[in-house]
Amino acid sequence: MPSTQVPPIAGAAIDPPSLRPPIDDAVIERVAPSDLRSRLEALKTDGYAMLLDLGAVDYLGRSPRFDVVYHLLRLAPRPATVAEVGTPVRVRILCGLEEDRSLPTVSDLWKSADWAEREVFDLFGIRFDGHPDLRRIQMPDDWVGHPLRKDYPMRGPALERAPRPAFANKTNVVAGSPPSGRTLEALQEQIKRVREGGS
Amino acid sequence: MTLSATPPPEVISRSDTTMVLSMGPQHPSTHGVLQIVLEIDSENVVKADPEIGYLHTGIEKSAEGLFWTQAQTVIERMDYLAPSSNALCYALAVEKLLGITDKIPQRAQTIRVLTGELTRIASHCVWLGTHGIDLGAISVFFYCFDLRENILDLQEATGGARMHPNYMRVGGLNGDLPDGLLARLDALIEKFPRRMRELRGLLQANPIFQDRTIDIGTLSPEEAVQWNVTGPSLRASGIAYDVRKAFPYCGYETYDFDVPTRSEGDAYARFLVRLDEMDQSIRIIEQARRRLDTPGPVMIDDPKVALPPKETIALSMEALIHHFKLISEGFRVPPGDVYHSVESPRGELGYYIVSNGENKPYRIRTRPPSLYNLQALKGIAPGNLIADLVVMIGSLDPVFGEVDR
Repeated sequence: MPSTQVPPIAGAAIDPPSLRPPIDDAVIERVAPSDLRSRLEALKTDGYAMLLDLGAVDYLGRSPRFDVVYHLLRLAPRPATVAEVGTPVRVRILCGLEEDRSLPTVSDLWKSADWAEREVFDLFGIRFDGHPDLRRIQMPDDWVGHPLRKDYPMRGPALERAPRPAFANKTNVVAGSPPSGRTLEALQEQIKRVREGGS
Repeated sequence: MTLSATPPPEVISRSDTTMVLSMGPQHPSTHGVLQIVLEIDSENVVKADPEIGYLHTGIEKSAEGLFWTQAQTVIERMDYLAPSSNALCYALAVEKLLGITDKIPQRAQTIRVLTGELTRIASHCVWLGTHGIDLGAISVFFYCFDLRENILDLQEATGGARMHPNYMRVGGLNGDLPDGLLARLDALIEKFPRRMRELRGLLQANPIFQDRTIDIGTLSPEEAVQWNVTGPSLRASGIAYDVRKAFPYCGYETYDFDVPTRSEGDAYARFLVRLDEMDQSIRIIEQARRRLDTPGPVMIDDPKVALPPKETIALSMEALIHHFKLISEGFRVPPGDVYHSVESPRGELGYYIVSNGENKPYRIRTRPPSLYNLQALKGIAPGNLIADLVVMIGSLDPVFGEVDR
């Protein structure tokens, strides 16, 4: 499948979280898939009562390919006033995951993980073992492919194969990634050929 | 692709006493396009399974193909009732990645707070009006939309559009407030208490409304946390978590306001919390208004991020070059990842943004408050009547542009 979104810089730039010291107020941890479940269970016992969010990022070309990201919030039990809430602690768990591998579900620990895991499965194709109802959630049930993967064409597979209008091939050349998916070099090559042919 | 969807398991078990009914996706009380597959025993809901995705527009994917500035335009369309909250959260997150958070001018921050609170009132107006209609109280809608109309007029004056003003920018604002806007704002602040009295008078003590909402859709604090409910719905269950207080942004720590909470956790408590929130919002707006008398810049003084003033372009070569570079290839954001959240009218709205150093975001993951709030419906619907389901959806206030993205 043609790729329109492969990051232009190879190597280090494919793993942005590792390049920079953390800039937000969360505690950041990197956990291996095998330790994920026990780590999250421990955090939940420790008072991280809320699974704020669960998402994924596709770093195509990196190994492991995916990062599944868990955001946890530590709240006092039943904080009825603003003072009791204070400044809760946020933890971000990054879990690197190879393609075609699966993660244990946490939907039994936090009910809210149910739809979040379904969404990650739907849009990235990452499976969660033990999830009670792992179906597509955003895309239609008969959809092929997982749209938020980086090798999924921006305009969808059907449109990607169709010929493009001429003007579409010229836009955004300066930006380095024309929507046609052709590289700047390919365009320059084409321009050069036209010029040589004309002279 | 390598993986295919799992064959859908039997969603709802069928038996002799129950039947399966599909509510929506075309149903006036679902506030958009929501389908709920209901298993019912006569009129009682045994199991409810919301089916979402009918409004999926791939905003997160589209944003990956747009410049950092352009992405904000699509992001604003997620929560179409409170577009400025989305834009604000996105701008704050990108500013954090750029490392310019502390260089945003004071006046821009104040106007951001002002816009954020105005959009909260406007959004709660839509919620109150439609919630009233769901319960058969038609006239509330007109009062609410009249008030919302006044706020949309102000939004139109600032950003140029009524629904999606796109007024926020990474680094500040699109422009300063137009002439005469503060006078209109003063007029709104002045008439607001009377308006709120009218809105409260229509429903708050109404016996029919109370009968329909009290003890309906009760969420205990533990359940609310389990379902990851945030915003007014969480505070109606007695948990005073508000991002504006817990993780202040835009100088919210310098404003004097309360976080209304209730302990009942039912639909009526959520109703009261939202009304109280509107009162608190106008308190914040009054304080922000007083700070706006002193003029000042509203955009960061950094030519790598902010467009140069239009009048300098014809006179300065540097300005022309910066303008051309920003328009044609945007600015680049240093690699890294960040999570930032704001208190949107619906709850904690967060963006987890990854940059790989390019002029386009590598990945934008939204933490949509509506998605998690709506999911709690699975927990609170069973055991209630079908008619009460409408109350519960309304009281959770989902916006489907954001649930489905």
